[in-house]
Amino acid sequence: MRQKTVEAQFLHRRQALRWIVGGIGLASVGSVLAPAVASLLSPVYRHRRLPDWRAVGPIDEFAVGGMHKAVVNLDDDPRLRTVAARGVYVWRRQDGEVVVYSRACTDLGCPVRWDPGSEWFFCPCHGGIFDKEGRPVAGPPPRPLYRYHTRIRDGLLQVDVHSVPPMA
Amino acid sequence: MLAEWKTWFEDRFGLEPIKRHFLYRRVPKTSWYQGDGSALLLLLGVLVVTGMFMAATYSPAPDSAYDSVRHLTEQQFLGWYIRGLHYWCGGLMMVMVLFHLLRLILVAGYKFPHEGTWLVGVILLVLVVINGYIGYVLRWDERAIYALRISLNMFWNVPWIGEHLVVFVQGGSQLGMQTFTRLYAVHVVFVPLLLLGLAGYHLYLVVLHGVTSKAERRRPIRTPQQQELIYDAAKKSERYGEQFHPTTTAQTGTMAFVVFLIALVLTLTVGPGDLQPEANLVEPSMPRGEWYFWWYSALIALLPSRVAPAFMVVFPLAVLAALVLLPFLDRGEYRGWRMRPAAVALVIGIVVGMLYLTDLRRRSPWTGWPQNEPPPVPRGIELASGAEQGRHLFAVYGCNSCHAVSGAGPQVGPDLAWIEHRMSAQELQAYILEPPAGIPMPGFRDRMPRQDLDRVVEFVLAAQTFPYEQNRGQ
Repeated sequence: MRQKTVEAQFLHRRQALRWIVGGIGLASVGSVLAPAVASLLSPVYRHRRLPDWRAVGPIDEFAVGGMHKAVVNLDDDPRLRTVAARGVYVWRRQDGEVVVYSRACTDLGCPVRWDPGSEWFFCPCHGGIFDKEGRPVAGPPPRPLYRYHTRIRDGLLQVDVHSVPPMA
Repeated sequence: MLAEWKTWFEDRFGLEPIKRHFLYRRVPKTSWYQGDGSALLLLLGVLVVTGMFMAATYSPAPDSAYDSVRHLTEQQFLGWYIRGLHYWCGGLMMVMVLFHLLRLILVAGYKFPHEGTWLVGVILLVLVVINGYIGYVLRWDERAIYALRISLNMFWNVPWIGEHLVVFVQGGSQLGMQTFTRLYAVHVVFVPLLLLGLAGYHLYLVVLHGVTSKAERRRPIRTPQQQELIYDAAKKSERYGEQFHPTTTAQTGTMAFVVFLIALVLTLTVGPGDLQPEANLVEPSMPRGEWYFWWYSALIALLPSRVAPAFMVVFPLAVLAALVLLPFLDRGEYRGWRMRPAAVALVIGIVVGMLYLTDLRRRSPWTGWPQNEPPPVPRGIELASGAEQGRHLFAVYGCNSCHAVSGAGPQVGPDLAWIEHRMSAQELQAYILEPPAGIPMPGFRDRMPRQDLDRVVEFVLAAQTFPYEQNRGQ
């Protein structure tokens, strides 16, 4: 009888010890991994799409009716030169409205190219084609071309670079 | 004396158990194709080693990455060799991992007791694909930046958390420094460490549970006990078994060496993957992913716009889910391909489909693109002056951005030397001014003067007499 109790106690103790070792081990792993993952995720919490107006160029440089290529600089840091400069298409319509298209195809982001002959945009990757209004006319793109919000300040055409998705 | 030293060394460094349980163990007879695993291991080794040395030169920042790759390739002594080996071993890794996967589907290598080995293998597959992708993004040429953008756009399609995923991967609200360091860390630290660890575990499971032997493929196997009996009998038998080293290793090592030789020859002849202009989001570009992703690119191009966004999310997850569930769904009692026609059909379908799609991507008949030159006139054909003017207008109005003539040019619209339904001049004019609804062609009603229209039509009518076969497929 007494023998059994001792054994049970021993088993109980061993079971407890197993829990303690496992628990402390897991807690240690967690105390390293959880903050590391949270830290890696931090850009997601910081992300806000607040308006960020950047100059495209003097509005007079874009003749009415034509589709013009232009470059918007998202960041002046020279270290970001390969990613900060964005090609866009500026179209000043007859009625005075200014349309600025992102070059990112709405399918998977390849750079669409304006064809002045057919007056269509062609995507070089998966066959997306858009008309002058930015509407998809062929291929897989499900949405019209992304349009930046625009405004004119002191004769300068500006776009809100956060008015299109973050990868456009 | 020497023998004594050897015994001492093997004892103190614990080599004896390795020899007994690993090197000199009995295994069922091996076929040449079972060397695909060794080939993968060798490729992984070469990738790790060449990768380490490349990391010593590479600069993971958007303003210097491209230059460092160029420096490595063009200036550093034998840098091209290191990068060439890394490039080709990476490409062959994608091929061999697919070979390995399809072979195991053919022989039902996921059935008991191999479920764990299989599932670890699925994780390895995911890791290999991730690194195969990031690998060419780090090159930071135009192809790279658009490959990155393509993956970000795929994440964008994920419901609810799409934008968060995009920001997470690019490390901020815009592409930047963070994007680069993240991709670099994943490519050279996260994935390789996991790959090495899990590949070791995968191998341990292969040694522990064995592989699908030939004997198991000859008869139905209903229980794990039955499998164990058959496997043990095969490995112990004189006729169906062999010693792992050096008999099996010679077989599997041969395949591994041949695969490595292919990488070596490609490195010495073709050299490392070509560098397009430095990454930028300004210039017109015709980016094209690495050849091992072309099949997927073609698949995406064929999608109707209704399903495209859902497909990008559902397809990879569905493939992953199918691979994970395969061992639990396929409860058939046969292994090997002879008694499993469905597996054979699936594998043949996948291989043929991928090759077909890869070739389709090479031709990319869906891509319209502005052409600088008007379509060429086939030799021996003289155009009337009106048609000749029409030929130039054909380019001015961007007709040849979509229409090939006699095989030359993009093939989005019908080749005008081969229109099945021949139209009269009047019909053609009406068609060009106002294409029927549902036909993806711009109408020229407001912007093509009458005389231009006449000339273009004249050319189109002349083009219909051109021989079609010439210059076919650009």
